[in-house]
Formats: sequence, structure tokens, C-alpha cells
Amino acid sequence: MKNIFKLTAAAALSLGTAGATLAGGHSVSLTPGEDINMVLLPKFLGILVFDQANEGAQEAHAELGNTGELLFVGPTPENSTAGQIEIMTTSATQGQGAVMLSNNAGDQIVPSAVAAQAAGTRVVTWDSPIPSGEGEDVFVAQVDFGSIGTVMADMAHSILGGSGQMAVLSATPDAANQNAWIAAMEDALKGEKYSNIELVDIVYGDDQAEVSYNRALALVDKHPNLGVIMSPTTVGIQAAAKAMQDEGMCGQVGVSGLGLPSEMVSYTMNGCAPEFALWDFRDLGYLTYYTAYGLASGQMKGEIGETFNAGRMGDFTIEEDPGRPGSSRILMGDFTVYNSENVEAASK
Amino acid sequence: MLSRIPPQTLRILALLFVLVAVLLFFSTQVPNYLNGRLFNRISSSVAIMALIACGQTLVILTRNIDLSIGSVVGFVAFATGSLITHSPDIPPLVLAAYSILLGACFGVVNGFFVAYARVPSIIVTLGTMALFRSALVEYSDAKSITTNNLPTWLVEFPNTQLFTIGTFQFRAAFVVAILVVIAVHITLSRVRPARKLYAVGSNPEAAEMSGINSKLVIFFAFVSAGALAGLAGFMFLARFGTITVVAGLGFELKSVAAAVVGGVNIFGGSGSVIGALIGAVLIDLIDMSLVRWQLVSEFWREAVLGSLILLSVAADAILMRRLVKWRVSREKKDAKLEVQA
Repeated sequence: MKNIFKLTAAAALSLGTAGATLAGGHSVSLTPGEDINMVLLPKFLGILVFDQANEGAQEAHAELGNTGELLFVGPTPENSTAGQIEIMTTSATQGQGAVMLSNNAGDQIVPSAVAAQAAGTRVVTWDSPIPSGEGEDVFVAQVDFGSIGTVMADMAHSILGGSGQMAVLSATPDAANQNAWIAAMEDALKGEKYSNIELVDIVYGDDQAEVSYNRALALVDKHPNLGVIMSPTTVGIQAAAKAMQDEGMCGQVGVSGLGLPSEMVSYTMNGCAPEFALWDFRDLGYLTYYTAYGLASGQMKGEIGETFNAGRMGDFTIEEDPGRPGSSRILMGDFTVYNSENVEAASK
Repeated sequence: MLSRIPPQTLRILALLFVLVAVLLFFSTQVPNYLNGRLFNRISSSVAIMALIACGQTLVILTRNIDLSIGSVVGFVAFATGSLITHSPDIPPLVLAAYSILLGACFGVVNGFFVAYARVPSIIVTLGTMALFRSALVEYSDAKSITTNNLPTWLVEFPNTQLFTIGTFQFRAAFVVAILVVIAVHITLSRVRPARKLYAVGSNPEAAEMSGINSKLVIFFAFVSAGALAGLAGFMFLARFGTITVVAGLGFELKSVAAAVVGGVNIFGGSGSVIGALIGAVLIDLIDMSLVRWQLVSEFWREAVLGSLILLSVAADAILMRRLVKWRVSREKKDAKLEVQA
């Protein structure tokens, strides 16, 4: 039995949703029409990808005919950490059925999340998990964090033509998702294929345009032979691309990482950022909603190995999070690599 | 010779001394450091902060503070970007005027509450900081301004090289910022109504007694700071192209730091915008150099930056006191000599 589970998990890892149906057991089909109030809590308001996640959640909300309310509330940008903790606490007092959290507060959110769970509120994280896994029912992972590492290493490999120096421009030093992806990339870089690629530096642009822009320039000043700036954040990647374009260095230093097609299209077309990747935030919001609805309505237990049906996206299985032992995750899987051939269509 | 220099100039000389010391220190630590590229980096990055620190200085001079200035920069950058995206034919100067005017409108809100409703500025602007930022979140509707929707002239403006001296490039954004700071400086030191900012800041009661309408002066300080923040918002848009709701986040504290490092007295009444400009340059220089310094890891950078700011302010203060003391003793000696003669 244990082996079968391992096999399933491995299959799910490599094949995404297709593997989950092999679980053999039965897949929970969620009964629509329950009355559950839920809160979708992004890192902060006013960012496109979080609004896209909300669209996906609203789609699922309508599809499941939930007669309760789905609130999209978040802190303002300058108050992200404190605001998230406050909203988590308020949600628990209000007796919300579930809070869907893209965590920006590190482990500082733990006490309020634990209190929310004690009050009967289910805590489902998406996009960015609670690092320790405490106070969290399950994490809906956009992609396998390990495979992001491989994809970033591959993009660097292709831009560098197999050998050269790369540096990382990340978000904040304590961003759980970025740190996990960078660690995964460092792991991937140990592979034979990447033996000629040297990771020379990791700097942090605090997810702000001006800091990221200056950091990108500092990187090329500090490392004259730098070939790639890898930025696993939508703010950093476009600031770095703009900086390279402004200084006329696009031929010398390629920018890559995780970015939004609508923001990156001009840099990809002019060669400053030849390749980058991202997943679909609408799907992420949709899947997160199905998970939270299932848990809050008591139709799912949230145990490892449990399989459920998430509408148009098919079946998913709860598994142990390989990056955070003892915590569980649901893997959405698959992202798109954008280059000059497909970016224009995606940016529309 | 030294005794004839006014204290403000002396302070700026002391700051320049610290600046040179920092440059020399890092040139021993970082390879390929002292060159034209460093000047180009610092000059183009400081252009925006110079304007904001200049506005902040005007407010601090009157014994107030403007914590909403970063939110104003962000809002103006977004609103200007959104305007030019929808009507790309607007001429450059009209667009810049729009930014300045919009910024001034935010200044009117701050100025009204501080000067006429008599609410302490730290409370008013703490409120408006969140208010303006929330207004931006609401207004942006989670969309971003992106570079490819902006006209070429706007995107190319900040990096246009006006002239070069050796490998030192003087780019448009930097030159504009310097000209604005110099203009404000001349106004503050030569134009009588602008001198009232100092009067109100150094002794409000005396200013009132001598017939200065201090409410109007404070109101004017906030409106000017808003206008300068508006211009900074315009430059921010031109430089970064992509504007989201986090634009200008944290600029309020950076601008206060630049002003204070630049010798502007946080209790009002003394300081100059040239000082604030040098303060902004110093902070930028330290920050940028630290990133290139192998010895300091990312996690310690903020702490080291903080200590260096403290150190430079302390060094500046001690240097100033020494010079003043030395001058006083010189004057005494001179006076004695005169008596003896």
C-alpha cells in the first residue's frame, strides 16, 4: 500500500493532474450549494496576479453554488504583514468557514492562523505557504517547487548557451516561496548539465521597482562577466529588464525568471528577456477555492492521500509537501515558458 | 578664511568631506569602483530622491513632517501613466504640469489639515499616507502601467545624455533634478517670502508677532512638497515604466533620512535643500556600494547602512561643533589681539 502511494505521488509529481487519477480509491465529488462564508486573502491588494486568482475563485464560487459570501480582502501594500495578521484574526472572530491565504507574513502569521483553526476556520494557503506549516490545513502549490528550480536552471542554461555566470535578483530575503525556489534551483544546478554555470550572487530587490532596478545594475557592476540575471518575481524581472535596456546591456546580460507576459512582452521581443515562465493564477484561485470549500463544508478531511474533484481542472490528491516535511500540499502543476514565439499572444 | 564662511556652507563642506571619505573607503574595498560608471549610476538613481528630499526639507523647515510623500509619488506616477496611455498625444510639458498639479492637490489636503485644522502633521500625514495609497489601490483596479504603452519620448527622457565630461554622463533626469534643487535653494535663500519658512520653523511665536501668516506659510510648504513629489512621480514613471501599487513605497522615510543626513534640523528652522541633495547622494552611494561589497551579506546590509548613516550624521555633527568651537576661539583671540593693539 505504501509503495502504491509512493508511486502515485511520483506520478502526480511528474504528470500533474493525470497521475492523481491512478490513486485507485475514490475521488470526492463536492456537493454544491452549501452555505459557507470564505475569505480570499492575497499578499496585498492592487496586484494583477492576485486579482486573477480572485477571478478564478469567483468562477468556482458560482460553479459550486455556494450561498455564502466570498470576500476578497487584503491589506494595503505598506501594511502587508500586520494587515494579513489582522484580517486572519478578524476572519476567525467572524466565524468564516475558510481563509485562503497567500502568506506574506512568514511564520509571524502562525499564532493568528492557529487561533483561526481553533475557532473552526479552515486555513488553506496558496501561492506562498506558511514556512513552518503550522496553522495551515493544506497548501495549494502552483507548481512543484523543485521543478521551478529545474526550469529556472534550464532557462539560464539556454540563455548562457551552456556556460557562464548567473545571479539571482529575488524579492524580500524572507519571502517563503522565492527562497524555496532559489534553493530548488541551487539543487538543480548541481546536475551534470549545468556544471559550467556558476551562481555568483543572490540579491534582494524587496519587490520594489526602484530597489530591484538598482540591484540589477549593482550586479552587473560587481560581476563584469555576468551572463544572466534570474529573477523569480514579477516585479524584479521587469525592473532588471528595464535596467539592462536603459544601459544598453541586453546583448551581454539576459534577464529571465518568473514574469507576466503583459509586462514582459516588449523586453522579450527586443531580446532583453529572451525567456521567462509563469503559471495561471486564475487556475490557482479556482483550485484553491475548491479545496477550501471541500474542507470547510466537511466533505474533505484534508488527510494525505485524499483525492477530490476540482471541477474543470480534474482530480487532485493531497500529498506530503516534499519541501516542508510534515505539511501537506496539493500540486496544481504545469506552467508555461514564454519566449518571442508565444509571448505576444499571451500578453493580449 | 574659515571664519568668514557661514555655518550652512560649513555644514555642506563637512558633508562633502564625509562623502569623499566614504568614496575613498569603498575604493579600497571594491574593485573597479572609482570611475564614470559609478557617477552615472548614482546620478541617475538619485534624481528622483533629490526632488522628494527637497520637498520633504521644505516641510521639515516649518517644524512639520510629510509621511504621505511616498504615496503621492506612487499615485502621481500611476495617474500620469494612465493619462498618457489613454491619450498618447499629450505634449511633454503639459503632462509634466499635470503631474505637478496633481501632486500639489495632495499637498493641499495635507496643508489644510495641518495648518488650518491644526492637527499635528505626523498624524495627518500618517493618515493620508494610508489614504492616498488606498486611493491608488482603488484607482489602479489591480492593473499596472507598462512600458510598452508609454510614448518613446517619455521612456527615453531620463537617460538622454545632455552632455558628457570624460566618462561622466549628465543625463536629463539628473540635470532636471539638480536645476530644480538649485532653483529651490536660490528661492529659499534670496526671496523674502520664502525666508518665512525659516522664520516659522525657528521661532513660530516670534514669526507670528512680526506679522507672518504662519498658517499660510505651513500650507504653502505642504503644497510645494506635494508639487515636488508630483514631479518626482513623473520622473518615476519615466524611469521605471512599469508602475504598480507599490510605487514609491518607503520613500517617505528615505526622504526624511536624506534631509536629516543632509543637515536639515528635524526640529525645524535650519537646513538647506542642497544639504538634503547631498544627503540623498550619500545614502544612495552607501547603499549601492554595500551591495557591491563582498564582506557584507544581504541580511546585514540594512543594519550596516543604518550604522553608516548614524556614523556620518555623528561625524558631521562633531566636525561642525569642532569647527564652530575653533572659530569662536579664533574670534576671541582676534578680539584680544585687537584690544592689545
